[in-house]
Amino acid sequence: MLNNTLLIARREYIERVRTKGFVITTLLIPALMAGGMFFSVLKTRNSKSASHIAVIAQDADLALDIQNELEHGKDSAMKVDVISPPSPETRKTVVDETVDKQIDGFLWIDTATSTPKITYTAVNHADIATKDTISGAMRRVFMRQGLKHRGLDSVDIKTMMEPVEVETDTIKNGEISKSDTMTAFFGAYVLFFLMYMAVMLHGMNVARSIIEEKTSRVFEVMLATVRPEEMMMGKLFGVGAVGLTQIGIWVAAAILLSSQAIVSAVGAGSVQVHFSAPQIAAFIGYFVLGFLLYSGIAAAIGAMVNSEQELQQFNLVIAMPLAVCMFVLGPVISNPSSTFSRVMSLIPTCTPLLMYLRISISTVAWYDIAGSIVLMLLAIWVVMWFTARVYRVGILMYGKRPNLPEILRWLKYS
Amino acid sequence: MAIVRLQHVRKAYDTKIAVDDLSFTIEPGSMFGLLGPNGSGKTSSIRMMIGITAPDSGTVELFGQRFDRKLLQRVGYLPEERGLYKKMKVIDQLIFLGQLRGLDITTASKRAHAWCERLEITEAIPKKTEELSKGMQQKIQFIATLLHEPELVIMDEPFSGLDPVNATLLMDTLLDLRKQGRTILFSTHRMDQVEKLCDAICLISRGRIVLSGGMREIKSRYPRNRVQITFDGDSSFLRNPGIEEFKLYNSSAEIRLRDESAAQQILAQAITGARITRFEVMEPTLEEIFIEEVGAGGRVDA
Repeated sequence: MLNNTLLIARREYIERVRTKGFVITTLLIPALMAGGMFFSVLKTRNSKSASHIAVIAQDADLALDIQNELEHGKDSAMKVDVISPPSPETRKTVVDETVDKQIDGFLWIDTATSTPKITYTAVNHADIATKDTISGAMRRVFMRQGLKHRGLDSVDIKTMMEPVEVETDTIKNGEISKSDTMTAFFGAYVLFFLMYMAVMLHGMNVARSIIEEKTSRVFEVMLATVRPEEMMMGKLFGVGAVGLTQIGIWVAAAILLSSQAIVSAVGAGSVQVHFSAPQIAAFIGYFVLGFLLYSGIAAAIGAMVNSEQELQQFNLVIAMPLAVCMFVLGPVISNPSSTFSRVMSLIPTCTPLLMYLRISISTVAWYDIAGSIVLMLLAIWVVMWFTARVYRVGILMYGKRPNLPEILRWLKYS
Repeated sequence: MAIVRLQHVRKAYDTKIAVDDLSFTIEPGSMFGLLGPNGSGKTSSIRMMIGITAPDSGTVELFGQRFDRKLLQRVGYLPEERGLYKKMKVIDQLIFLGQLRGLDITTASKRAHAWCERLEITEAIPKKTEELSKGMQQKIQFIATLLHEPELVIMDEPFSGLDPVNATLLMDTLLDLRKQGRTILFSTHRMDQVEKLCDAICLISRGRIVLSGGMREIKSRYPRNRVQITFDGDSSFLRNPGIEEFKLYNSSAEIRLRDESAAQQILAQAITGARITRFEVMEPTLEEIFIEEVGAGGRVDA
């Protein structure tokens, strides 16, 4: 029994891993990740160094303050020339300089009226980032100036204008830890994304492989020696292992690319996501269970339909349960221990995402976890049983897609 | 001990009765033909013998034991609709199928090579299945069926789609297997093959047995009232009253006699007006029996 399943799984695995398609997609995604990162880093650097502007204001103090803010501010590193006070020819000079691309644009501050009029002029439309940077800087500068005029000294002003950081701690198993909701949320998203990719790519591959076997009529040769259950399990494990291999490679590539050393080497902002050991265990465990369940459902569909075109129509059956999980993600995050969250996380199709989320943001009772695993295993078993039956009977009637009563009758045969 | 014994087997799909009250036995070392028109239940019967489906009632015995999946290790099955993994290399495929039937890699590979040599397709070994011609694929499938040296070989329409040269090659192989003491069952609707190869037959129509037994015994049930004559000259002897009906071809005729004893008289008459190169009195061919028996049972699904 086990031997046959392993043989089938191994065949499936080797044949799939050898295909060009697998090699290309496996290598392409990390290449895209690396390329994307490189590109965004390059772009960020360019946009900072490229912005070279002139600030024109009557008030030299104000202009210098703006220069300081834009050159050394929290998120800007522009090069700023100050012209103060402007002469009648100044406007013409800066316009010419802008046209000649000596500067990217100029900021004209007119403080003659009670509310200052500020205009940024550039050849290109100012991009949102530049505009945000300038308006943020202006707000801080005017506030500082305003406070100064009301007689506060500069040290006080500096303290008042420091940004306030809020730290979030969570109490887990009686200990206060730094793991915050963002990490959990991020983790859930990563899991969701991986699961979705895995199911859509490889779950559907299970279905496709079954259809292929039906159309090439190999299954009849196979069924003369192996049980349909062995065949199903073998396929699931084989294709599943291919999926895990691919995702493993992707995750490894992502970890490598986002590792602190490389990130700081290319000068991108720091990304900090920490996963604890139990979190990682839950992640892997639920991922594998979820993958098996969804691929099992895909396999059942594959056993019922006759062509890939028909399979397309059933994509929704796989995507829907995943979408449901996404919809309830919000309520579960805001109240991970409510009855609603507990019930939802025990539904096998939702368990992998929601139970994982609950485990990472709250303390989940052991019987909830145990129950969810038992329910998932049970669901996988039922799906496999159903699929094997449909598969066996499916060979006797082909050419037409069965309707529900027919499928129910199939279960009685064989 | 019978190699295969079916007793009152019945199988219905929904409203269609595929096989009804089917009983027969296959003796060891014999070549057994399962005959019948299309849709008569041949494939359904075979599928029950190898456990792809289970009978609704009745029993299937293999090697003198009640059907059990373990016994399948001793059976080789070639389905009617051939199927191989298209993208897989021939040798990998044969080894894989051999392993599923309990062989280790070395044995499977050795035997696969030996068989490919024997069936004259060594050039196909490193290729992918999809690159091969249909006839070659069929040979590969044939090899896959025999790789584990089964005691019982079951083949559903083994010769369909093969050219005469390859069909003969496979027939010779089957005869060799019988010589080695294997038992062979094959289904077909080509009567000439059956007549040449089989020791025993079972003719089914609409899921029921029409005729069953040893080849010789069945034939002896019918009178030797067929005459085949090849001649040159006057054909007036065909008007002899002893002839029930005849078919006249270019230089030969097939005659059906009213009575076996009329043959000599007709020969004597024919000699007077024509030069006879062949004159043979024989029992009806299996094809004639087939048409007679199946036709009598009414029209069948074609």
